[in-house]
Amino acid sequence: MDWEPLFLTFKLAFVTTIILLLVSIPLAYWLAFSKSKIKPIIETLVSMPLVLPPTVLGFYLLIAFSPSNGFGKWLDEWLGLRLVFSFEGLVFASVIYSLPFMVHPIQSGFSNLSKSLLEASYMLGKSKITTLSRVLLPNIKSSLLTGIVLAFAHTIGEFGVVLMIGGNMPGVTKVASIAIYDEVESLNYAAANSYSLILFALTFSILLLVYMVNGGYLKRFWK
Amino acid sequence: MQFAINELVHDFSKTTGIECEIIISSSGKLTAQINEGAPFDVFVSANMKYPNDLFEKGLTLGEPKIYAHGKLVLWTMKKELTPSIQQLENNHIKHIALANPKTAPYGNAALEVLNHFQIFQKLTTKLVYGESIAQVNQFVNSQAADIGFTSKSVVLSPKMLDKGKWVEVEDSIYQPIQQGIVCLKNKSNKEKLALKFSDFLFSTKGKEILNTFGYSTNFD
Repeated sequence: MDWEPLFLTFKLAFVTTIILLLVSIPLAYWLAFSKSKIKPIIETLVSMPLVLPPTVLGFYLLIAFSPSNGFGKWLDEWLGLRLVFSFEGLVFASVIYSLPFMVHPIQSGFSNLSKSLLEASYMLGKSKITTLSRVLLPNIKSSLLTGIVLAFAHTIGEFGVVLMIGGNMPGVTKVASIAIYDEVESLNYAAANSYSLILFALTFSILLLVYMVNGGYLKRFWK
Repeated sequence: MQFAINELVHDFSKTTGIECEIIISSSGKLTAQINEGAPFDVFVSANMKYPNDLFEKGLTLGEPKIYAHGKLVLWTMKKELTPSIQQLENNHIKHIALANPKTAPYGNAALEVLNHFQIFQKLTTKLVYGESIAQVNQFVNSQAADIGFTSKSVVLSPKMLDKGKWVEVEDSIYQPIQQGIVCLKNKSNKEKLALKFSDFLFSTKGKEILNTFGYSTNFD
């Protein structure tokens, strides 16, 4: 069995999750506390990947990344970057695709915090940044964990978008979900089965761990 | 096959009055579905592997028959490119699309061509694989890939006619792309109608349509 697609899947999920965490904390913070008029529009956009079929995203990204069109041409000419059929392209697509899975838990974590925490911190003369990093974030640890794990798991489960823009290149864009599809198409059900079982077992363990941590089972166990 | 099949079915229905429903998908997926009892009457593939697989499992009415040989072409939408095998090593070409050689006969033929010219190793980082010939068309058409190997029936189809530039690959350097048709056993009692459709592909009219889509029907 070829381990490369599995390795690639986890690399993609890992890189995507890191980027998403960096993007989503400020975005979720703004969504939770802003009273701006454009907030509903941004909220809608963030949630769109939940509803849209991945083929829509994949189709538009294929067109956008194509070096013959505006955005793709600009990237190609100015940065020498071609996102189509590349690992970077998959990361870009995955960040969009898994965005709501990271933003939503963090946003609700912020919203559920008591206002008095914020106000107390400001009253003591702490800046917004210090308040965020020293007061707010430590209080929404379980939301952060949920966001990280959901985004990670959702990226592992990504298929439609990768199929549309990946090009099935071994070691570059051939992730596990594509490898499984490929093996089924080639009537190699045994190989498809081994990839699938590994993915099943790994994702089950990841999710189980999160529910145990968030549910406090581990703490009870240790005590 | 999806382009020619519309035309074939249209003509078949007009002359016989038998309505057909066309389900288009890749042969691998359809084979898996037929294995699990999908209610299809005829299976038309660009390949012999999948029809043979079904035949061996006893799911068909008789052996698959070869109705045509497909032709491989090299196709580009880029104005600045002239399609030719020699050009593939050129630095201007960053991505070359071909169908998955494991599952798609046109992909396999493309691989044979690259191996024939001994350029496969040099091109590995440029090669992008469509899950089927349909996806290769999508890659070439959107210009996400600079150039690609596809079926002649694609570039001769009404929607693609006069789009981009293509050149036929000399057919002596790849194994003939034998396209198979087989009628399927099922409970729909339409076996006679299915056989009629199969016969239609071998009729003068059927061959004529296949020829206009670039398929060769003259073979032994």
